[in-house]
Parts: sequence; structure tokens; C-alpha cells
Amino acid sequence: MNRRQFLQAGAGLALASALPGRAAQASAQVVIIGGGVGGATAAKYLKLANPALKVTIIETNRTYIRPYGSSEVLTGHARMEDLTVSYDALHHRYGVDFLFDTVTGFDPDKKQVRTAGRQSLAYDKLIVSPGIRLDYAAIPGYSQAIADTRIPSGWIPGPQTALLARQLQAMKPGGTFVIVAPPTPYRCPPGPYERAALVTEWMRRHNPTGKVLILDPKDNFVTDATMQLGWHRLYGYDIPADFMQDMPAGVQNTGRPAPIAWVRAKDGGTTRGIDARSLTVHTEGGPVQADVLNVIPPMRAGKLAFDLGLTNETGWCPVERRTFESSVHADVYVIGDASIADAMPKSGFSANTQAKVTAQAIVDTLAGRAPAEPVWGNTCYALAGSDYGLFVADVFRLKGGKITQVSGKRYLPLDASPTQIRLGAVYQQAWLKTFTEDCFA
Amino acid sequence: MGALMKPMIGAVLIAVAVAWLTPAQAAGQPSGSAMAHTCAGCHGTQGRLGTVEFVPLAGLPEREFLKAMGDFRSGKRAATLMGHVARGFSDDELKAMARYFATMK
Repeated sequence: MNRRQFLQAGAGLALASALPGRAAQASAQVVIIGGGVGGATAAKYLKLANPALKVTIIETNRTYIRPYGSSEVLTGHARMEDLTVSYDALHHRYGVDFLFDTVTGFDPDKKQVRTAGRQSLAYDKLIVSPGIRLDYAAIPGYSQAIADTRIPSGWIPGPQTALLARQLQAMKPGGTFVIVAPPTPYRCPPGPYERAALVTEWMRRHNPTGKVLILDPKDNFVTDATMQLGWHRLYGYDIPADFMQDMPAGVQNTGRPAPIAWVRAKDGGTTRGIDARSLTVHTEGGPVQADVLNVIPPMRAGKLAFDLGLTNETGWCPVERRTFESSVHADVYVIGDASIADAMPKSGFSANTQAKVTAQAIVDTLAGRAPAEPVWGNTCYALAGSDYGLFVADVFRLKGGKITQVSGKRYLPLDASPTQIRLGAVYQQAWLKTFTEDCFA
Repeated sequence: MGALMKPMIGAVLIAVAVAWLTPAQAAGQPSGSAMAHTCAGCHGTQGRLGTVEFVPLAGLPEREFLKAMGDFRSGKRAATLMGHVARGFSDDELKAMARYFATMK
């Protein structure tokens, strides 16, 4: 269905419930499309702020599969079941209603959405948290069909994650696991490099002559220096000269081959296309043969954001920064990875704090108050190895109409002590639980 | 007497006004709860937490919260990422967060 058809499907729908003249803001109806981190957190914090609000999440899937930490499935540290999150607590403890259905129609003038199951929902405020869409076709030779069967991306967790895990386990001794990293902006900035580290660590035990090769269209990445220091210490990785100047004393390259390599854009790492049959990546530096190939393609806002007409020419959703109200439609808010949020990374933690700010702004607006001064945060833990934790930590404020990082340094210091590094890994595992609870329980 | 009372009443009124205004946020400052919500991903919704790795913040006396955050911010106390986070907040903002968590049970 194209966008015009989509909007028409919305325009033709009958009024399902009394919409105009819904005066009492205490019983205002907030509809949330998308039950991921952004949508779930928004629902919970709306009900915490005002239990009288009627909050309904429309979500296709009956359970959520969390993407954060999902690379741990590849190495057997976590199972697919461990990624599964129930919506029961949101429903039973907080009174959030769920409609397990797919949105097929939208009428922003009448403020209604319609679903494939022929339900019509009227809203006073609509929150859209559609996540990302993987743009498989942006890489010549790649497609969703190939990703589902032969060259998984595993960036939205599900069957592709399980397929990639099986491929890794079945890889021939001494084989090469190739990761094609995405261009910015993309979900989970340290993620491809953490995945590379965890696979390298796994191979040391299960495939000791195997190698991991990252092909990158970028020359740097979030956590780059700290992650590479971890690779250096754990896997004998040689740090490129331009990252050496900030390294602590005693860090010395050996010149010996390491089981993990990072080929940057400036070294020819940009992918031009792939040959799915032979598992060859054609890079600017020449062809690269893989034994297992993991392509993380460019990303855009989730499909729903396009269907609802909320995107701009960038493929992401412009929003009014204070509240994340869509720049396209009034009373519609776009949060999470799909939104354009300046300095904020596309991370689960960003989506979680965006949801809280937006929830409070909606409660304030419905009560006739001006939205309060916003503050957002981001904390991403990442692993260079099971016991080697890194992080990104940020506080964000609104400055001159843009979301700005105000807390300064973001990464684990390069001179961090072994205890800090070990604690980072402990906290990473704990965070998977506490974060999931804050969003879903 | 009357002449003396007037300035006193004025002083009392100013004191009341100051006491009234102090807990309110300064212009451009987020509310204590809004700032506290950015902690919840690790420290639990409203500071309530069942896991042992992170400190639950609900019910923490204001002075303890301010001491910890001040020491994280200055680097006096070793941290993984709390030093970075603490440097994102001013003294007044930390006080507002401290008040929020102290009132949570």
C-alpha cells in the first residue's frame, strides 16, 4: 500500500467512538503505535504521570524481542528466549491497553487510526515509535530474501539472528566472519564492533584459527579508541597510527596478524556490492571473500513512519525538539530511532528518555500547561570481551533549538583501571535487566 | 512599634517567598522528576530497584545523594560512567534530583 492509499484508508473510516467534544482531559486517549522501547516506556510513564489517561499500544507482535544485547545470541551467551519480553506488566500493573494488530489507515485531521483487523481508534495524542527499517536494497546484490536465507543482518533480532548464530557455529576451521558495518546514522552505534569482539572471543575457544573482518564505510565509530584498546589487549589487535597518540603508555603494536581486523573507508573498506552466491564483498579496496557474511545495511525510519507520511528527505522523522511532536502533523509525536534528534544516538536508552520527556509533555499539554524544560540521557554499555566493559554516557539538553550533549567526555577513559573495565562488564549485564524493567515492567 | 513591625512583616514575607520559591525550578532547569527519570534505566523506575549491581536511589537521604554526585563530578570518587553523568548537572539540579529521590519510598 502506498502512502496515498494508506491515507485514504484512514479518511474513509467510520467514527468508532465519540471523538469531537471529548472535553475532560482526564479521560483523554493516547494511542501509541509500536511496542518497542520507545512506545512501551511512553505508555508506562504516561500512566505513572496520570493514571486516568486511556493509553493503548497498537503492536503487531504479542511479545517484544529486544535488540540490545542480541549479539550475545551469536556466541551462545544468551538464547533467543532470553531476548523475549512480555507486555503483561504494562497491561496488568499499569493498565495499558494493547491492540495486537497492524495499522493500515491514518487520518490526521479526524485524529484516527485504523488497523488491518478493522478497528478504528480515535486519539487526542498519537505517539509513533516505529523503530528502524533496514534498507537491504541499498547494497547492490543484497535483498531481504537473501538476508533471510543466506546473508543475515541480524540487526533487528529474530530468525536472522538465529541463522547467523548457526552459520558461525558451522563455519569451517580458519574461516573468515565478515561484518559489513553500516553508514551513519544507524541503530546502536557501538553494536557492530561489539559483535565483532564477541565473535572473536568465541572463536578463540571454538575456532582458534578463525578470523573476524569488519568492512566499514566510515573512518571512526562510537567508542572507537576504547574498543580498539580492548581488542588490542584481548586479541593482539594492532591499533592504527592515528589512534595511537591517545593510548596509555605501554601500548605497543606487535606487527603480528590478529584474529580481528577493521578496514576503514580510507583503507578501501566501503562496500560497493555483494555477490550472494560466492559470499564475496566487493569493496573499494577490492573483493573480500567471506565464509560467513553479516551485512548490516543502511537504515531509515521504520516503514510505518513512511506510511504515515512522517518522514522527510533524509528518511527520518523531523520533530519539534522540546516535545518530539512531528513537524508534519499536529498531536502526533515521533520518538526513538525514527526521529531526528541531533546529538542523541539511535539507542534504546535515547528512545527511553525521549519517551519520558514526550509522555510528560503530553500530560502537561492535555492539562493546559506549557511543556517543561526537557532533559535526556544516553547510557550504552558495550563489550570488547565478556569481562571487558566499555560505555558511552551522555546528558542532553535543548540549546538554541537543538538537542546538545552537555556532559563532556563520553567514553570509558583510556587509562581506566582493570577494576573499572571489569565493572563495566558487570554493569552491562545488569543494565540489560534494569533497563528492560524500566521500559516494560 | 508600628514602624518596627512593617519591615519585620516585610522580612517575613520575603522569607516565606524565598522558602516558597526555593524548591521550584530555576528558569531553564528541568524538574527534579524529569532529571531523575534519566537515571531510571539503571537505577530503577522512580529509583526503585531489585537488582544488586546498581544503587537504588528511592529514599536515599538528600545529603548522601549530593555527596556521591559531588564526588563523582569532581573525580574524587572513582567511577565507571557516573563521573561523566554527574558533569551534566549543576548544583541546583543535583539538589532538585536529591529532593525527588528522598521523597520516593
